[in-house]
Amino acid sequence: MAFVKAQKSRSYFKRFQVKFKRRRQGKTDYRARVRLINQDKNKYNTPKYRYVVRFSNKDITAQIISATIAGDIVLASAYAHELPHYGLKVGLTNYAAAYCTGLLLARRVLKKLEMDEEYQGNVEASGEDYSVEPGESRRPFRALLDVGLIRTTTGNRVFGALKGALDGGLDIPHSEKRFAGFDKDGKSLDADVHRKYIYGGHVATYMNTLMEDEPEKFQTHFSDYIKAGVEPDSLEEIYKKVHAAIRADPSPKKSEKQQPKEHKRYNLKKLTYDERKQKLIERLNALNAAAGANDDDSDEDEE
Amino acid sequence: MPAGHGLRSRTRDLFARGFRKKGTIHLSTYLRTYHVGDYVDIKVNGAVHKGMPHKFYHGRTGQVWNVTKRAIGVEMNKQVGNRIIKKRIHVRIEHVMPSRCNEELKQRIKKNDQLKAEAKAKGVVISTKRQPLGPKPGFMVEGTTLETVTPIPYDVVNDLKGGY
Repeated sequence: MAFVKAQKSRSYFKRFQVKFKRRRQGKTDYRARVRLINQDKNKYNTPKYRYVVRFSNKDITAQIISATIAGDIVLASAYAHELPHYGLKVGLTNYAAAYCTGLLLARRVLKKLEMDEEYQGNVEASGEDYSVEPGESRRPFRALLDVGLIRTTTGNRVFGALKGALDGGLDIPHSEKRFAGFDKDGKSLDADVHRKYIYGGHVATYMNTLMEDEPEKFQTHFSDYIKAGVEPDSLEEIYKKVHAAIRADPSPKKSEKQQPKEHKRYNLKKLTYDERKQKLIERLNALNAAAGANDDDSDEDEE
Repeated sequence: MPAGHGLRSRTRDLFARGFRKKGTIHLSTYLRTYHVGDYVDIKVNGAVHKGMPHKFYHGRTGQVWNVTKRAIGVEMNKQVGNRIIKKRIHVRIEHVMPSRCNEELKQRIKKNDQLKAEAKAKGVVISTKRQPLGPKPGFMVEGTTLETVTPIPYDVVNDLKGGY
């Protein structure tokens, strides 16, 4: 082994300032968070809600959150894994599913605050830019979109979720620039293209293309769709039904299974001092037995 | 060239961030609320350049007289010449923290109100005034023996042991 000079001395570690925990984990953008949370001081304790949309590999999380010193409080949440209750079995992380999740969250929040009668939002999804009109008794529910760490490109799924929430009746300041179907050169939103994306038209087109050109790839890529019996032409109908089901009953469904009495342990239990000492003795004994050392050595080690 | 007397002169160490406390400001600074009449301490945060008070006010405590969108109006005393003036400044919230100077008072008020309500319910008259510590009570000294110390006559031979 070559002789390498130690790069990080003791003084390096003594002087090292760690970043915030969530920054070290790479999960929170504090620059954005400060600006989202900062409430006018002359509004005192009025909560400032942010509409948080996060994507995992197989799920979408949409939440309305307000911040306090003790911790953030979630007012309402909606997940893409709830969409099977409303009739959507496959494609739970695409643009259309994001739209459905946003719509579900919006209707849930409005129902919780008893504003769902007054603010129906945009019932027929047309892809056009829609902003909520103020109603008679109360002002619309206002939230700010929190995208997290994703790159906000035109046509990103977070904006699908944003459109879902807007059509659901929430007041979220936005611009149509990043919706799918916005033309950079013409600087206008093509509502038809956006409508296609909301109803999974892009997925249907790809399905048709693969069915004609590469049937084997179609079998592997869309295996879940085939198993669920979803045809490319029926996608739009499915999404229309899902939207209607969401508007009919957005309340969350409690799951039937009860909590297991004893929770499964995911990390190792911390040993006591005696247990650790005992383990060390056992390990040394095993080592000595394996090496075949003489009895004197093993007696000393056991002490 | 002579040293200047600018607004932030001689603040190299005063406005410096602490050791291993540089970088992002923790969010509770922005989440606190202040009401008119609260006591606040002024502690300048060198990372935020807007709404900084003058270095004189660093370490002062005053009451809030105004609340705006991102700043607080604080009123405190300053000695100017031979008198003390009340000064009103506006400071951004990053440079302000709630003062604990009257925390003990507020706790005592709450406790006294509770005691008075209990006493009223029972019909007992109590005094909630604080009493100063009086002289310490007397006590008997325990576990001692008496040793009488008397002078002994000077013995030349034994005392000159070393240096004779």
